[in-house]
Amino acid sequence: MNGPEIYDAQTLPSDDNVNSYAFSVDLDGQWFLQKGKMVAYYGQIDFHGIGLGRLDSLIAHSFHSPLHASDWVVAEGRGKMVLADRAFDVNSYDLEDGNLTVRSGNLLAFQPSLSLKQSIIPGFLTLIGTGKFVAASNGPVVFVEPPIRVDPQALVGWADCPSPCHHYDHQYLRGVLGGVRAWTGIGGTSGEEHQFEFVGSGTVLLQSTEELMPELATGAVPQQEGVPNATGANQPSQPGGSGQLGALQRRFGL
Amino acid sequence: MLAVDMTGDAVKAKNGAMVAYDGEMTFKKRTGGGEGLRGMVTRRLTGEQMEVMEVKGRGTCYFADRASEINLVSLHGEKLYVEASNLLCTDSALRTGTTFTGLRGASQGNGLFTTSVEGTGQAAILSDGTAIVLRVTPQTPLQVDPGAYIAHTGNLKQHFQSGVNFRTFIGEGSGEAFQIRFEGDGLVYVQPSERNTIGGDV
Repeated sequence: MNGPEIYDAQTLPSDDNVNSYAFSVDLDGQWFLQKGKMVAYYGQIDFHGIGLGRLDSLIAHSFHSPLHASDWVVAEGRGKMVLADRAFDVNSYDLEDGNLTVRSGNLLAFQPSLSLKQSIIPGFLTLIGTGKFVAASNGPVVFVEPPIRVDPQALVGWADCPSPCHHYDHQYLRGVLGGVRAWTGIGGTSGEEHQFEFVGSGTVLLQSTEELMPELATGAVPQQEGVPNATGANQPSQPGGSGQLGALQRRFGL
Repeated sequence: MLAVDMTGDAVKAKNGAMVAYDGEMTFKKRTGGGEGLRGMVTRRLTGEQMEVMEVKGRGTCYFADRASEINLVSLHGEKLYVEASNLLCTDSALRTGTTFTGLRGASQGNGLFTTSVEGTGQAAILSDGTAIVLRVTPQTPLQVDPGAYIAHTGNLKQHFQSGVNFRTFIGEGSGEAFQIRFEGDGLVYVQPSERNTIGGDV
């Protein structure tokens, strides 16, 4: 018979990708996963919402993000579980006594031996400890090393390096004309005036598209896509807004 | 994209799914899924409407739909159950019909009925991302998220399984409250993506 490979409870990979879009977890115990990412499972698995209950001590140990509590569940039991996310590329990563920060909507699941914390950067989550986690990306992930400046929309996460800072093109910030240009968009903008800058040692994870995965309502959602906690004041490519006006006044010396 | 080589024979395909062809082809709209008046009425009643055309001729015909992945299923007399929206193309030797699926269908947001394909030949089904084929045996029943289910073959019993409890109602639901449980012997096709379903957010 031609056609795709047929998997059963035994041949389904154990903690590995089924294909580029799906990941199979060999569950014996507990895993955290984001709501709605389970596609199918064999065996006896229960799903518990995060809140008061008998999983209290587990959650106290490895879940530290009340903002995201309503989006996560604990899968408990024994069996094989297939995870997938809107047909995006899915990859698993191993952390060994490390830390990794990832966009909150991209994280699918993680082992309870890791501990999940809210990153200082809004919209991102940090995993600390040792264990395996699964994250999705729009297109394959590319690993790069700092120092590097990356497009906000292409950033998936980073490991072991200090949190990024904003970087703006100097040319673009300078002078009255630059301000007018930024404010009105007249004269053309390249759309690449703003980057995230990484320094130090570590790894930065990029996805191969600037199209963000449709953000799920996970905690505090950034006002502009790709930029955490964005307001008009720090968005050069977005015309209008009182923050921009303030910036213009500053340029005129008012 | 699916390429079908034809030598005078015919295939039934989703209306408008042809993207290119070479050779001589004729396209004929088959009203009511090509199942005659009775089929047409059944489909209208059950909401499993299927716009079907019959393609006949010599040459190669190419089919595609919204860049979805296409999976070929070979049938040797058994029955394939598939959502009408996921069925792209079948050999004309295959009979299509409508079956009642009960509550399972309702939970998928796809109605209470599903399409069955029966006979010997090949059928092409659509999925969002490469489909995963999972075998169900009496020892290993399978639970599937309603939004990810696309098709199944074989002698399978479906149950609708719900994990709704009081916590669901105080907003602490697990997001995985509804599953279809397959028991018996057969294959289930699952896509790595979820449709919007009624139970999806619970």
